[in-house]
Amino acid sequence: MAKDPILQVETTCGSLLYELQIIWDEVGETETDRDKMLLELERECLEVYRRKVDQANRCRAQLRQAIADAEAELASICSAMGERPVHIRQSDQSVGSLKLELGKILPELEEMQKRKIERRNQFLLVLEEVENITNDIKGQGEHVLSKPPIDETDLSMRKLEELNCHLQALQKEKSDRVETIRKHLCTLYSHCSVLGMDFNEVVSQVNPTLTDPEGPRSLSDHTIDNLDAAVQKLREVKIQRMQKLQDLATTMLELWNLMDTPIEEQQEYQHITCNIAASEHEITQANSLSEDFIKYVEAEVVRLGEVKASKMKELVVKKRSELEEICRKTHMLPVSDSAMDQTIVAIESGIVDATLVLEHLEQHISKVKEEALSRKEILEKVEKWLSACDEESWLEEYNRDDNRYNAGRGAHLTLKRAEKARNLVNKLPVMVEALASKTIVWEREKGIEFLYDGIRLLSMLEEYNLLRQEREEEHRRQRDHKKLQGQLIAEQEALYGSKPSPSKPLGGKKAPRMSTGGTATNRRLSLGAGMHQTPKPNKKSDQRQVQVDGALSTGRRGLDVAGLPSRKQSMNPCEQLQSPLVRKPFSPISTTVVASKANIATPQQLVPNSKSNAVNEISSFATPVKNNNIIKNLEEEKMMMMMQTPKNVAAMIPIPSTPATISVPMQTAPTPLNNNNNARFLPEKAEVIEYSFEERRLAFMLQSESPIHV
Amino acid sequence: MSLPPPSAGRELANPPSDGISNLRFSNTSDHLLVSSWDKRVRLYDVSTNSLKGEFLHGGAVLDCCFHDDSSGFSVGSDNKVRRIVFNVGKEDVLGMHEKPVRCVEYSYAAGQVITGSWDKTVKCWDPRGASGPERTQVGTYLQPERVYSLSLVGNRLVVATAGRHVNIYDLRNMSQPEQRRESSLKYQTRCVRSYPNGTGYALSSVEGRVAMEFFDLSEAAQAKNYGTFATGGCDGFVNIWDGNNKKRLYQYSKYPSSIAALSFSRDGQLLAVASSYTFEEGEKSHEPEAIFVRNVNEIEVKPKPKAYPNPAA
Repeated sequence: MAKDPILQVETTCGSLLYELQIIWDEVGETETDRDKMLLELERECLEVYRRKVDQANRCRAQLRQAIADAEAELASICSAMGERPVHIRQSDQSVGSLKLELGKILPELEEMQKRKIERRNQFLLVLEEVENITNDIKGQGEHVLSKPPIDETDLSMRKLEELNCHLQALQKEKSDRVETIRKHLCTLYSHCSVLGMDFNEVVSQVNPTLTDPEGPRSLSDHTIDNLDAAVQKLREVKIQRMQKLQDLATTMLELWNLMDTPIEEQQEYQHITCNIAASEHEITQANSLSEDFIKYVEAEVVRLGEVKASKMKELVVKKRSELEEICRKTHMLPVSDSAMDQTIVAIESGIVDATLVLEHLEQHISKVKEEALSRKEILEKVEKWLSACDEESWLEEYNRDDNRYNAGRGAHLTLKRAEKARNLVNKLPVMVEALASKTIVWEREKGIEFLYDGIRLLSMLEEYNLLRQEREEEHRRQRDHKKLQGQLIAEQEALYGSKPSPSKPLGGKKAPRMSTGGTATNRRLSLGAGMHQTPKPNKKSDQRQVQVDGALSTGRRGLDVAGLPSRKQSMNPCEQLQSPLVRKPFSPISTTVVASKANIATPQQLVPNSKSNAVNEISSFATPVKNNNIIKNLEEEKMMMMMQTPKNVAAMIPIPSTPATISVPMQTAPTPLNNNNNARFLPEKAEVIEYSFEERRLAFMLQSESPIHV
Repeated sequence: MSLPPPSAGRELANPPSDGISNLRFSNTSDHLLVSSWDKRVRLYDVSTNSLKGEFLHGGAVLDCCFHDDSSGFSVGSDNKVRRIVFNVGKEDVLGMHEKPVRCVEYSYAAGQVITGSWDKTVKCWDPRGASGPERTQVGTYLQPERVYSLSLVGNRLVVATAGRHVNIYDLRNMSQPEQRRESSLKYQTRCVRSYPNGTGYALSSVEGRVAMEFFDLSEAAQAKNYGTFATGGCDGFVNIWDGNNKKRLYQYSKYPSSIAALSFSRDGQLLAVASSYTFEEGEKSHEPEAIFVRNVNEIEVKPKPKAYPNPAA
């Protein structure tokens, strides 16, 4: 029979009771005792029940607690993980018994616990990684020792994601830094290469860990900053050097240009000069900016500079000699040598810049060239004058030579030369005159004196004229003397019946001794005495008569031109020239002469036949009237009176022979244009009066018509 | 003694007895007017070699020119400007300068007589002024210096003075010179003559040079057509020049004395040469005056210059 245990018990209990009762009965227990035992029994049974129930209660409570605990834990896990449990426990859910419930919860809990642990591990991983990377980033020495705390309360995915993101960010940062450092190192490497620096050394100065490509490197901000700074610094150095090199290259190009350096020399440095306009990043060649290299280029530039300096010096010397040459050619005084030498020394010692000196020299040269140009015309004339003076002296020598008409070898050449010389000498006064007036104009325009080898040209001309004057005076004196003598002789001869040939008057005064005026040392001032020489008397084979000075001999064509005396004779019969009246020979003309002219000797012969020689002998008609001192003497004086301008007197045609009359007009007279030699040259008073042939003729005519002097 | 070479030309009879200052052919005939220092103006008929008229003045006659075949003008050292009428033998004074009058020209274009004097003026006269010198003077124009030579062509007047000045005037406006120039020659101006074509003038100097100038300087830069011209010098030679080639074409044989004046006849067939000492060397004895008239086209072959022998023994 399937008996309910309790029933069973009860049965048992009952039987027991029965039995008990039997026992008592047998024992004969009192009722009270019985009751007491029964109470005790009950009480004891109650106790046992109570104990059992308590136990069961306790069990139940434990179960409940366990469930609650489990639920609590689950809840906490879930909340920490941010997830809901798979099975959501509902409060109203009747799971049934507690044991069942517990049975359900516990696996969930286990599950969640397992997941929590997994999650937690994930976190750990991430955090560990983060820690690592942060360590790397923060760099050694900043090692983070503590483990990163896990926030147990937040193990959610979200948090995990967060941490993952954070990790990724860190990873990125790390990789960025690595990259940055790599780049910097590349750049640094490039810079070092270009600059010729040791890359490892430079890098190790930044941070030693960087030198080892394998080992861990510092990625700290500090490192990166330092690296960056290093790169910048090297870049600056590179730029600096590059600029310096470019400057050097520019200078080099300039110097090459200046000195026309051949291509072969330039070739060597081509690689530098081609970078002359490059920018920093374009220069990448190793060692192209190293210190050594720059020094090397510098040295070349210095060398070129020295070459230039020496060439400049050469140029300075050359220019200076050019300057001297110009001065020499144009008879200007050259620059003082001492100044030049000093300048050259100054250039050498670098005090003075050669370019400045050259500029200065060039300016000086062009100025001198200008001046030389302006002097050219006058210098040409001076040369002509000087060569004419030479011919003058030659002519004088020649005229003194008694043998000059001997037909020897080349005699015709000499004759030709003599004729040319005479022509030239005739032109001399005009030449001097023209030269002087040109010089005055020049001096006036320029405001400075015209110097010829340091001497004022006008003074030279003046001296020359002075000399000439003196000489002519001397000649005249001698001629007068001779004339006087001749006159005496002629008179004697007349007394004794001999007559000099009327048609062949002979002039025959030799030129007096050369007057050596003052500075006749150089040729400019020497006067050709031939100027004044009268033809030798004995040249003409036929009548060589009296020494009548100034008379013409027929054959004397050429010489007469030069000779004052050639005119002289015709002075005498001035009035009678055109009139049919023939002056008697030997009639004194002193009466016809103005008082002061007493010394003009009487001419013996007349040249009554106006067809005589005189006229046609004159070959140089091209020259203006000059060299006609003697003739002019008489008419001059007359004209002087005619013109009535004392100032112009001597201007006309100067100078009578007597010193007395000479002096006055001379001192006051300005030089006439077509003056002859005796005019004193006074450039300061440039009042020049010229007269045409007709004016003179008229003056003469009027004067001869006047009754003053007969 | 040989005969004078025929190429010297015909010598005119009755030459002046003192220096010849100028001679001119007439524009209309072969009459030659000659002024002289013997104070006379002479009119010659060249074709007949005869003296047609002679006028005595108060002083040396320095220049003369024709007006037409019946009259001419003369000026001289007596400061007077005269008109002389040939056939009638009459003369009247147009006016005076203050100093000797050196040159005279007649301008057909202006109908005026133009004179230049050593009083540094050029004066213009109207020869039709009947009554007296005061009415005839048309204008007086101050020159920088004494007038040495004048030349007219068309409406232009060229004045050469002492000091080598050259003034060029337009006769229609004499108030001031059209151009003021300085002679390009270095020596005293002797004579100025305009080109017949009116483009310029020739200047000669006492040195013996001739400068060819143009009025219009722009023309001067162009090809110059100087043409041929004759010069006579104190060397007694007459040269004919080719101005374009600057060469001498021919030289006549030497004349006895300086060439004082030259004049071509109106048709250019004849050249009158005054051989007369021009006082370039002052007072001296010299050959007598002579006037030669030669044919110009007879010179087809260049004559060799011959020494002119002494005609008189």
